Amino acid sequence: MKLPNLTYKGVPVWRHAQVLQWTAQIVSGILVVVLVTWFFANIANAIHDRNIPFGFGFLSREYQTPIGWHLLPYESSDTFLYAFLVAVTNTLFVSLVGVVLATLLGTFIGVARLSGNWIVSKVALVYIEFFRNVPLLVQLFFWFYIVLALPPVREGYVLVDRLYLNNAGLSIPWLAVSSAGSALVWIGLVIAAIVAGLLVHRWLVLREIRIGSAPDPLLVGAATFFVIGAVGWIVIAFSSGTAPFTISIPSPQGAFGRISDGFTMSGGLMALMIGLVMYTASFIAEIVRAGIQSVSRGQIEAARALGLSNARTLRQVTLPQAMKVIIPPLISQFLNLTKNSSLAGAIGFSDLTNVAKTMTQTAPAVSIFLLIMAAYLAMSLTYSLIGNLYNRRINVGRR
Amino acid sequence: MAEVSPLGNPPLPPPRLERGIVGWVRANLFATRFSGALTVASTLVFGAAAIFGINWMLFNADWSVIATLGGQMVIGQYNTEAACPGQNCFWRPQASLLMVTGILGMAWGVAGGGLPKRIGIGVAVVLAAFALLPYSFERMGMDVRLLLAANIPALGIGWAVARYTPLGTSPRIALSAVVVFAVTLLLLRGIPGIPGLQPVSVLNWGGLTLNLLLAVGGIAFSFPIGIALALGRRSHLPVVKLLCVVFIEVFRGVPLITLLFMSQVLVPLAFPENFPQNSLFRAAIIITLFSSAYMAENIRGGLQALHPGQAEAARALGLPSWQTTLLISLPQAIRNVIPAIVGQFIALFKDTSLVYIIGMLDVVEISRAFIQGNPEYLVSTKELFLFLGLVFWVFTYGMSYVSRRVEENMGVGRR
Repeated sequence: MKLPNLTYKGVPVWRHAQVLQWTAQIVSGILVVVLVTWFFANIANAIHDRNIPFGFGFLSREYQTPIGWHLLPYESSDTFLYAFLVAVTNTLFVSLVGVVLATLLGTFIGVARLSGNWIVSKVALVYIEFFRNVPLLVQLFFWFYIVLALPPVREGYVLVDRLYLNNAGLSIPWLAVSSAGSALVWIGLVIAAIVAGLLVHRWLVLREIRIGSAPDPLLVGAATFFVIGAVGWIVIAFSSGTAPFTISIPSPQGAFGRISDGFTMSGGLMALMIGLVMYTASFIAEIVRAGIQSVSRGQIEAARALGLSNARTLRQVTLPQAMKVIIPPLISQFLNLTKNSSLAGAIGFSDLTNVAKTMTQTAPAVSIFLLIMAAYLAMSLTYSLIGNLYNRRINVGRR
Repeated sequence: MAEVSPLGNPPLPPPRLERGIVGWVRANLFATRFSGALTVASTLVFGAAAIFGINWMLFNADWSVIATLGGQMVIGQYNTEAACPGQNCFWRPQASLLMVTGILGMAWGVAGGGLPKRIGIGVAVVLAAFALLPYSFERMGMDVRLLLAANIPALGIGWAVARYTPLGTSPRIALSAVVVFAVTLLLLRGIPGIPGLQPVSVLNWGGLTLNLLLAVGGIAFSFPIGIALALGRRSHLPVVKLLCVVFIEVFRGVPLITLLFMSQVLVPLAFPENFPQNSLFRAAIIITLFSSAYMAENIRGGLQALHPGQAEAARALGLPSWQTTLLISLPQAIRNVIPAIVGQFIALFKDTSLVYIIGMLDVVEISRAFIQGNPEYLVSTKELFLFLGLVFWVFTYGMSYVSRRVEENMGVGRR
């Protein structure tokens, strides 16, 4: 029996690429939709039949559970929504401080790895190979027990009368807001100063390109920023009678010698910070090394031949080219650090995942998962967006 | 022909101070005044640190906690009365180990030396050396010691099998490795009704064995899934592309620990109540999917870096598109991103320590639980975790060493 000769544009349908591709797409699309619908139907059934709670009404209820360490002021009587916000702030705090410290340490080690000095280079290599290859969890436990082994508060270390280090954590002097109004005005001024500094820098760079000579743009730009900031500080201090910020120095209080004032990083936070920074720095060091090595020697030699100083060669020739290679993987490391901070629960620090995990005991787990997913996806999409914008910018003049 | 300078005199040897040890020291330690200062400072600092560290390790540290944990670090609670009632189950993981050594022996037999030979001998000798651990015979029986020592003959048997039977080709060894993995799972799980192979719940699996099983399974499955996702993301079919992008970005955007936690609470709800599943199986799937999302991005990087001329030439030679992809694009793309792929394998192995969140006693969690249950060992925690760090390091560094050798053999960067 001969099969009916179905054709599309003169080609049998079972051999026509377009037909096959669209069939495959429709079939895979339907399969996925069916599977997802099945999952959601099951979840909906479970919520209905097994009386599993669902909904977002709990968000305005009181959380009634303490949060171990929090950056924002927090009371047990605050709502779930606010507690969730507190947890997100904790994770963001760890992420931002960790990113800055890890970048500094990682850059330092990456440069040390390239040093002509054999000892320095080998020590950096050992650091990278060890910290990169051991699970972060093991490192966190190690640091956590080191912190736990510190002396108790009353017998803790006191450095230069200002830093208190004990098994409750590290207390350091910190800024304290004396009056909210003047602090806000000054912060506004600082932002303005940054903008002004950037504008001055840009203007001087353009001028240098146009007429061939100008005062050092970076130096003048930074000076602009500092002058505006300092003058603003003095003006506010004199006009309102108090400085926008005062420095709060930690000191032991009461019979147990609890440290009050200043800024206290709890033991868990300290271990988390040390672990995350040392772990991520080992990856950043490799990224920085690869970036600097990607700049061809001829570029540096040409810069020297043109009479640029060492510092200017590094700043205006090596770094801008190395940055193209460094920035994209660096941003994905920032993202990894943020996500790795979710291990904090293992050492008792209240980050987003840990708080959310506790919340599932008194609130609908399904709803809380939707919230965590949304929070983490928002963070990672923000980082990706920054990375993509940067990529687009540097790829404009691609050769 | 001897070198002759234009003036007819033989060229002078380089100055003494640029050769030998003195020359090396001058060039690498005292090249400039700054470098010299760095050398002096770092020698003082790191020398002091090294002396302190070695002194602590040899005289002050108390390593007895590692001996006390002993076999639990390797198999967790597998051989306890609760998991394996009325019999000794230690021989099952050991038998699997013998099979793995046998596979290494076969690899050596086929390769005829080189890296497989060194790895095989190293593994077998280290395992056999464990048979001589100074435990009492009550804690470590003769049977356990003999099975460990049997790794050396197992290596030899594997070598002979590869040499003298038709099993001695690379594809057949790969197939044998898959069979060994399946047999290992079956052996550890047990078969109901067969004496000596009573079932052991997978929830009692643990220790380093669990980490390795999860890593091997995860690597084996995440690699092909990652390739499929990478190809899907580069596909010009909009539906396929969209599905792959959503999958990759969701799995990359959320921490693994959150996903694992979710697999415990949310995933059971997504299946009917009587659907056969257990927490370890769910966790293994989540780890694999998580890793394949990262793998997909690495492979996509390799595909993007490939010159389009390669695919165009293949098409011009008349290869259909599936052959162009499988035989031309993918092999080159994967070869270009070997370090990233192996880095992802290493990350996966490190991530297996996160199964503590679902209550599994992997090597890290069993150590932590032991410390928590025995507060008298609290002071030895740093020794214990330092040791764990070294254990992981041996495996991960081994993986990156192998990857570098594989890259050299493939001639990456030379072709």
